[in-house]
Amino acid sequence: MRFEHKSTVNAPRAVVWAFLLDVPRVAHCVPGVETIESIGDDRFRGVLKVAVGPVRLTLTGEVAIASRDEAAGIAVLRATAADKGAGGAVSAEMRMVVTDGMAPDTSELQIVTEAQVMGRIGEFGQPIIKRKADQTMNEFAANLGRAISVP
Amino acid sequence: MTSTYDLHMPATAREAIDLLARHGDDAHVMAGGTSLVLMMQQGLIRPAHVVSLHKVSELRGIRSTADGSLEIGALATHREIERSPLVRAHSAMLAEAFARIATVRIREQATLGGNLAHADPAQDPPPALIAVGALVLIQGPGPAREIPLEDLLVDIFTTSLEPGELIVGVRIPPLAAGTRAVYLKFLPRTEDDYATVSVAAAAVVAGDGTVRQLRVALGAVGATPIRARAAEAALLGLKADEKAIKAAAERAAEATDPIADGRGSAGYKRSMARVFTERALRAVLA
Repeated sequence: MRFEHKSTVNAPRAVVWAFLLDVPRVAHCVPGVETIESIGDDRFRGVLKVAVGPVRLTLTGEVAIASRDEAAGIAVLRATAADKGAGGAVSAEMRMVVTDGMAPDTSELQIVTEAQVMGRIGEFGQPIIKRKADQTMNEFAANLGRAISVP
Repeated sequence: MTSTYDLHMPATAREAIDLLARHGDDAHVMAGGTSLVLMMQQGLIRPAHVVSLHKVSELRGIRSTADGSLEIGALATHREIERSPLVRAHSAMLAEAFARIATVRIREQATLGGNLAHADPAQDPPPALIAVGALVLIQGPGPAREIPLEDLLVDIFTTSLEPGELIVGVRIPPLAAGTRAVYLKFLPRTEDDYATVSVAAAAVVAGDGTVRQLRVALGAVGATPIRARAAEAALLGLKADEKAIKAAAERAAEATDPIADGRGSAGYKRSMARVFTERALRAVLA
């Protein structure tokens, strides 16, 4: 699954860049994130709760900053998470690119996410995770833009 | 890996509603159990209380009402609907749609109410029922209510039922004289598979060829079944020629939001939605 989002953020590029590397703040823009804590070495451990109708999944996993290139404005985050009860797992790579915006003190933010659903998750679980990933990514991109923007 | 739960066996709908109201999110209704048991085994649903409707006999049965409506109880099985002379007389399309769900073993067990509450967008009954204007009969702690089926199904596996509410049946108002209806599904893998796309259409065409009434609903190509209102609007009041049918089918495909899976990519499913909508429209309009 590939998700692409582009938005104009009301903050200068340096502010956006600093925000993107602050993984806990970025993670809190993901709807359903319950906890996120540093385990050192640019790695973080967290819990994401997903509710779809009567289905409740608790995805536990890790996020790591896989690479960062401040000159180019490109940061890559990698995440893996699994639900013990349903035996399903998700892995995702999120490439975030920040460039100067057209207007002063604005930036253009592009987020490209590649995600895979893995594990013994069955006929019901697959569409739930795929649908929810789409909705979650849309909300995440909107929340991130709002959180970074300088009021 | 099913966790432990308390099993409740109420004898009436009212007792079932009281149990649901008391236990809230911790309770889940079981009718035929064909989907719920699988989802519990897969660890997707872990209810602390299961409220079985097995003994609630008032929710069984299929009847015609004085105003010519067809009322199907929530616990009517797919097999009972498929074989009911009342259903066939009301809408042969509906009987045939139910006759082609999964396998006969599942149809003997799965119920109408369970199917609708499950809110799986890939199921057959919802598009077929939406095309014939089905209303869902709901009872709960508050007053009983009746809503169009498309208003029940709000997201994948998600209904608009309030806490404590129970689907008690479905009412299909009398269809206008001369209504033609069809249910098509695309099954490229096996006959008992979920559809890649399904399309139900019901129409009334005047003697001069003008489309008087039209309802089109698609399954398996969105988070919910999709009522293709733009496609309907593109044909209502017109004489449906091949060009108009193709344009309307395009509108239906635009309304879809499929996900890629083993049955095809999103783009392929959207194309098939167009193709099968064209075929359904030709069947009821041409």
